[in-house]
Amino acid sequence: MSDAVAPKKSWRPTRRQFLLGLGVGGVGALALGLPAMRLAVSRAVDEGLVPSSDPLDPTLWFEVLRDDRVRLHLPKVEMGQGIHTALAQIAAEELEVPWERLEVVHATTAHGPVDKQGTSGSMTVVGLYQPLRESAATLREMLRTEAARQLGVQASALVAAGGTLSVRDQPEKKLRYGEVVAKHTGTWEVPEHPPALKPAKDFQFIGKSMPRVDLEAKLTGQGVYGYDQRLPGMLYGATARPPRLGSTLRAAREGKARQQPGVVEVLMGSDFASVAAESREQAHAALAHLELEWTEGESLQQADVEARTTVKDGEGVLVQEEGDVPEHLGRGKQLSAEYRTPLAAHAHLEPQSALVEVKPERVRVWASTQMPGSIRKQVAKALERDEESVELVPTHLGGGFGRRLDAKAAIEAARLSRATGRPVHVGWTRAEEFRHGFFRPPTHHVLKASLEESGKVLAIEHQQASGDVIFSLMPGAVGAVMGADFGAWRGATIRYAMPHRRTLAQRVELPVPTATWRGLGLLANTFAVEGFMDELAHAAGEDPLAFRLKHLGDDELGRRFRRVLEAAAKQAGWGSAAPEGRARGIACSVDMNTVVAQVAEVSVESGRPRVHRFTCAVDCGLVINPDGATAQVEGGIMMALSSALSERITIKNGQVEAENFYDYPLLTMREAPEIDTLLVGEGDKPLGMGEPPMGPVAAAVANALFTLTGKRLRSLPLKL
Amino acid sequence: MKLTINDREYEVPEENPHRVLLWVLRDELGLVGTRFGCGAGICGACTIHVNGVATRACLTPVSTLAGARIRTVEGLSTPGPDGQPQLHPVQRAFLDVQVPQCGWCMSGQMMSAAALLERNPSPTPDQVVEAMQNNYCRCGTYCRIKKAVLSAAQQLAQETKPLTQETKP
Ligand code: FES
Ligand code: FES
Repeated sequence: MSDAVAPKKSWRPTRRQFLLGLGVGGVGALALGLPAMRLAVSRAVDEGLVPSSDPLDPTLWFEVLRDDRVRLHLPKVEMGQGIHTALAQIAAEELEVPWERLEVVHATTAHGPVDKQGTSGSMTVVGLYQPLRESAATLREMLRTEAARQLGVQASALVAAGGTLSVRDQPEKKLRYGEVVAKHTGTWEVPEHPPALKPAKDFQFIGKSMPRVDLEAKLTGQGVYGYDQRLPGMLYGATARPPRLGSTLRAAREGKARQQPGVVEVLMGSDFASVAAESREQAHAALAHLELEWTEGESLQQADVEARTTVKDGEGVLVQEEGDVPEHLGRGKQLSAEYRTPLAAHAHLEPQSALVEVKPERVRVWASTQMPGSIRKQVAKALERDEESVELVPTHLGGGFGRRLDAKAAIEAARLSRATGRPVHVGWTRAEEFRHGFFRPPTHHVLKASLEESGKVLAIEHQQASGDVIFSLMPGAVGAVMGADFGAWRGATIRYAMPHRRTLAQRVELPVPTATWRGLGLLANTFAVEGFMDELAHAAGEDPLAFRLKHLGDDELGRRFRRVLEAAAKQAGWGSAAPEGRARGIACSVDMNTVVAQVAEVSVESGRPRVHRFTCAVDCGLVINPDGATAQVEGGIMMALSSALSERITIKNGQVEAENFYDYPLLTMREAPEIDTLLVGEGDKPLGMGEPPMGPVAAAVANALFTLTGKRLRSLPLKL
Repeated sequence: MKLTINDREYEVPEENPHRVLLWVLRDELGLVGTRFGCGAGICGACTIHVNGVATRACLTPVSTLAGARIRTVEGLSTPGPDGQPQLHPVQRAFLDVQVPQCGWCMSGQMMSAAALLERNPSPTPDQVVEAMQNNYCRCGTYCRIKKAVLSAAQQLAQETKPLTQETKP
């Protein structure tokens, strides 16, 4: 532990905590606050991993209920990545509670640890692994101390197991956690230092494929998502959308909207016009009766997007430099190539939604969002109220993929609820999602390399140009100061041990809103770098696997790359003949310190690429839940493959062309390959898992198609 | 008018019979298990059964449903002897295989699968793909869905076998 000392703060249940306890069928509850947890989280924040809660708020992760259940309040949202299960495993491990007695809920901004950063970047398990273990162990020790007092024995005489503390050699003398809490009076003392943690050899939950904690609710149709939230007397809201990118309201009149069936309120501000009605259809139908004038907006065309997204030689910001590239790039055999990736949509299947109830004393917001803290702030601002009076209750998410960093639906619902005095639900349509959200930015890549006689790369350069990823979510000054968007160049640097290498990243400001998409720049950059690597292998007349292996360093990263490359190649039958009419391609990447290698097996059917099989070897360090990690590999590959083969957002006359899935088809089960996952990592810490497996997908497919057809595809989606 | 959903009768207002079943289920009757993904009949998130046939609730006007038997995910499980809901074999298989990620598409996936197994209790893998190819899963759980549907079919075959033997003369 750091030199920070946990405050010896007595802890009393707040009203909200008390309510939560009473909500469980009248079972009394007692919650335990853990300032130590807060400190641990702050430490992690210093390392840039997870945010801290406001130090003045009581922080609350666990509730021990009198009926022996333990409720874990998690500040990170579940969007399908399985983190609630992984975090429950980590907590159960140190807390020594039976699996079925642990209950997981989303923390709200009024109860439980507050998360101001959001859930993104494959960082949840990485960031919370250590703090959560420490917190759970601390709680276990607090229970042990109290049980010892109640039983009149030494704390060291007690054994914690299965949610019970029993006296060693006198197993009949014992107390269940719920009993300890029920008999306790007064305040709880939080120890200054977390106790020693369990050695890995004693793990019972970490490393096991525990079943997901949230699946039964999801398979029986329970209303756990933002779109499902309901309250008595609620209304539905809809908001008018501009006809083109960049166009804003010049003038707005109610027209006949208020007279339309079911309409309760028409609300207009300087930059919006919304309707609240008794039904969702009525709210949307009434929009057509508003009289709105919009400014002209953009006249952008697809060709402009591509022309603007073009590398200007030497103008990027240097984000990697080893050796002397300009000096060596002109020597030996020279190669260069250009790659492109298009705008892409998230297409999360549940469009964004929120239910808001504005009351004079407080506001409650139920929203499917990756950023509860920031959405709370935005809602408070829109309502001109104090943030403390706004409670944000995160729901489960029907997919996130980086799209749910904003939640305009919550602001739209909040305004309408304030105006009508009734709860209002806003759920976006698919067309609103396609046309009025933000996108993965388009990219352009110029790669150059020089090859020595020996077939080794002497120098390599990657110049990339991309629309904004992280800059668009930050104050303007950040972009000006930093120059290159670290989200856009994620995955762009050359990780092979080539003597002279550099990467330049160039910012492209586009009138199309672009930001985070699962993996940020990872898929696009890896497509370019690993596609080019394959070109170099063929130019050198070498096997693409052998060529990669011989360019690995003999440091730790090089060894980890070697392990995943060899594992994937062996499993996929690399080196043996592919089945008739098929070929294989290989690619690899490192992201969030997780190393991934993949082999794609492809054919061509009716002139289109068909992917039959993906083999993926991953080293993501300590695996908390192997089945969960495997699911992330499968899901990541499928999403990246859909992007590689099918998806492209285009702009026409200043508007996004796609309106629904008929313009933007996703891959279906028909196109889904078999996926073979090998978890080959080791280590005592978990690494990122939500995004890294997407990295090599497009490159592996393009590389396989080259072997099969002799045609090098350098832009997505891949078309022969 | 009356709608028969999961063997229960619901009264819905007569006016505007053009509104589609999806929003009547979700917003009027509180049966939110049927999900919305596109409203255009493409994604399959809203799949329900009308007289046993997999149907898109987002394209089905309620006016066409007088006298029809409607089944939603809420009616997929059946009440067991102890009053606890007993999961449908498809639900059990989806749980065993740990299919869902975000879960939003799952009601539609399971309704498509259940309808398939009702008309074809032992589908080949290709027939599963044929029946399920119009249900999107953005989280990419397709391999697991396929595995779960095939395993549900096997499960069903095992469960019905003794029955058919018993009913033999
Ligand atoms: S919502 Fe009905 S098919 Fe997509
Ligand atoms: S599980 Fe998320 S869309 Fe299928």
